[in-house]
Amino acid sequence: MSGLKRMMLGAIAAGLMAGVAPAKADFWSDAGKELAGATIRGVSESTPPSNYVKNVLGPAFTQATGINVEFEATSWDQMYDKAIKDMEANTGIYDFVYIEQDAVYGYLARDFLVDITKFLADNPKLKAPDYDPANFTTFANYFKGKDGDLFGVPMEAFIKVYLYRKDLFADPEVTAAFKVKYNRDLAPAKNHAEYVEIADFFTQWGKDKGIELWGSTVQANTGHPSSWYEYVESVAPTFGVYNWGIDASNNFAASVEHGGKMNSPEAKAALEFWVGLLKNAPPESTASTWDEVAATFGAGRAAQGLVYGENAAWIATDESKSKVVGKVGVALPPVEPGVIEAAEAGTGYIGYYDGGAFGIPHSSKNKAAAALFLQYIAQPSVQADWAVAGSRITLQSTYDDPKVVAQDAKTDGYYTLMRDQGKLFAGAPPYPFHNQVREAVAPIFYQAITGELTPSDALDQMATTAEAELTKLGYRK
Amino acid sequence: MRSQTVGWLFLAPTILILFVFGVWPFVYVTVISFFDWNSFAADPTMRFAGVQNYRALVFDKGFLMALWNTLKFGVFAVTSQVILGYLLAQLFMKNFPLKGLFRTVHTLPLMIAPVAVGATWRLMTVPGLGPIPYCLDKWFGYEFLISRYVGQAFMTTVVMDIWHWTPLVTLTLLAALSSMPKEPFEQAQIDGANRVQTFWYVTLPMLKPAILSAVFIRLMDAMRTVDEVWMLTGGGPGSATRYIGLYIWRVVFPKTDYGYGSAMSLITLYLTIVMCWLLYAGLVARRDLKRPE
Repeated sequence: MSGLKRMMLGAIAAGLMAGVAPAKADFWSDAGKELAGATIRGVSESTPPSNYVKNVLGPAFTQATGINVEFEATSWDQMYDKAIKDMEANTGIYDFVYIEQDAVYGYLARDFLVDITKFLADNPKLKAPDYDPANFTTFANYFKGKDGDLFGVPMEAFIKVYLYRKDLFADPEVTAAFKVKYNRDLAPAKNHAEYVEIADFFTQWGKDKGIELWGSTVQANTGHPSSWYEYVESVAPTFGVYNWGIDASNNFAASVEHGGKMNSPEAKAALEFWVGLLKNAPPESTASTWDEVAATFGAGRAAQGLVYGENAAWIATDESKSKVVGKVGVALPPVEPGVIEAAEAGTGYIGYYDGGAFGIPHSSKNKAAAALFLQYIAQPSVQADWAVAGSRITLQSTYDDPKVVAQDAKTDGYYTLMRDQGKLFAGAPPYPFHNQVREAVAPIFYQAITGELTPSDALDQMATTAEAELTKLGYRK
Repeated sequence: MRSQTVGWLFLAPTILILFVFGVWPFVYVTVISFFDWNSFAADPTMRFAGVQNYRALVFDKGFLMALWNTLKFGVFAVTSQVILGYLLAQLFMKNFPLKGLFRTVHTLPLMIAPVAVGATWRLMTVPGLGPIPYCLDKWFGYEFLISRYVGQAFMTTVVMDIWHWTPLVTLTLLAALSSMPKEPFEQAQIDGANRVQTFWYVTLPMLKPAILSAVFIRLMDAMRTVDEVWMLTGGGPGSATRYIGLYIWRVVFPKTDYGYGSAMSLITLYLTIVMCWLLYAGLVARRDLKRPE
């Protein structure tokens, strides 16, 4: 074949490819044509994954479709408050709202959300070629209705992991001192007794060395629900107390007397363990929510702790925010005997699989544009950078992306742990009354943190109060 | 007749605004308060409950605790503001170098939004970051931890409120002091009254209307304080700073217990009115009753 012919064939092939490729690449501009200039508004919690949507994916979507995105990243409380008020009043301010995994059951019960599966089936022109619900991880199941339809497009999913200071755990001076004191090698704790020993050791180590180092983080804010959530979602399950200790199958019993486990011996041991950690925690712990716990660990003030995985990436890799870059180890949370086995058997779990999705309220005035946006952020092509920035993964294919694999190595295998051991974690129980019961019992719970009540008394009162609230709400007969 | 029509036309916008933002919400809240309505209940519809919500309030430890905490907060904060406000007003009656600058700086907190005040105080008191716990620890070895110690949290909210609102009392009393006639003071001097007697028998009675105005305004504000405290402590630790406004907010919004929250709001409004009336009756009406003698 002559060089000229080759060139001509090459030109024809290139022309054909160019003709084909835009058909897919231009889906967004084609779909956006009729809606160009429209503005969709969304509200979410200000977290690393949400901020990535605000700063990167929103503007990229606008560039691709001509549809403007106004994204409000606010506090957790405000996010709920604004979204619920908007949906209840049917005002239509927001076209997409963040649905935390524990809130979806309440939203579904109130019929706040558009059935996205059905909406796209009814509007096939809006279905993006890259949008494949089958590619979602099993986390998407939390956002499905009874018939398996999707009511929210997952945008973040991560586990609450046990982070520890790898550098300290490998420091010869530290390990030697630990061995002398406890007659065993220093290693990430497998159970609560080991965890307490390590916490005691490092708190004393910090004092002896005159450095600001404590043995553990504790998310123990005394006026914010985050402390309640750390206990019920991340600590109580490691003692074998699941679903807040409420037995939904037994008339929503909470107290031991009626068949619940909220004030069971296991629950009391869990709360005593957790409250006891405060003596080994930095002073800011009683003012710490999920964000401050991550900040505390990132500031190098704690040797170990349970930290929401969405923060794992920046803590381990971002030198502009973290003082412990390259010094972070990741492991499964410590548990009581039998808990891992129960989780593997599917009868329990060892911690919290957190995350959320974006859903479209029925009150939205731009459902079509919002549906496009939700598919845009679910494309495989945008996932890797998002996973690296926010340590969240919602598509199975993202795990194998080279960027994620590289980030996995920098984060001591956080992503691998989430993929391989994620099955041991679970989301929140499918209760439509999260806020209601939490608000009823939280003031008592806070008193356990301040020491006004013993953990045992607090849990007894909490169980009684929870049952009273559930009766008032009509769930408990 | 025509002038009456014009008058009503001029009044119409005010009446409309008053009805839409005052009367209608009040009536709505009153109606809701007789219903059991939680949008996340098994039955999310409104069900008539009679006076059940009001009855439940009497046995609600959280409500009673919040009410008690609010009263304590109001008494501590308002008393301190009146005393400090009076002293500062007296100071501003005198001439001293940089008086204008000092008066301007002293008034600045009034211009700051309560949420910003709460956020500022939170930053100042957060352990590990805030200057207040740092200095108290370094200088006195005192552990200042408002997220843990109930008393510290309560007093910090009081001090924050004093810092924010004392200038209002100062300005009110300064205006009253500036407008006082000289004659009664000269008369008291001639009669040989000392400074305490002059204050007690001349200044205080003449200042009473201004003081009462300030107390009423600040007491009502204290009863509905939410944003500052919400930013600073979130109502904690425990329920230590869960004042009534914050408690109602939590019941109505996160807990979505609309009927009960409405009843709580109305009772709080009623108690505020009663408290102000008692104060008025105790300090003003009693004196008026005595006057004929």
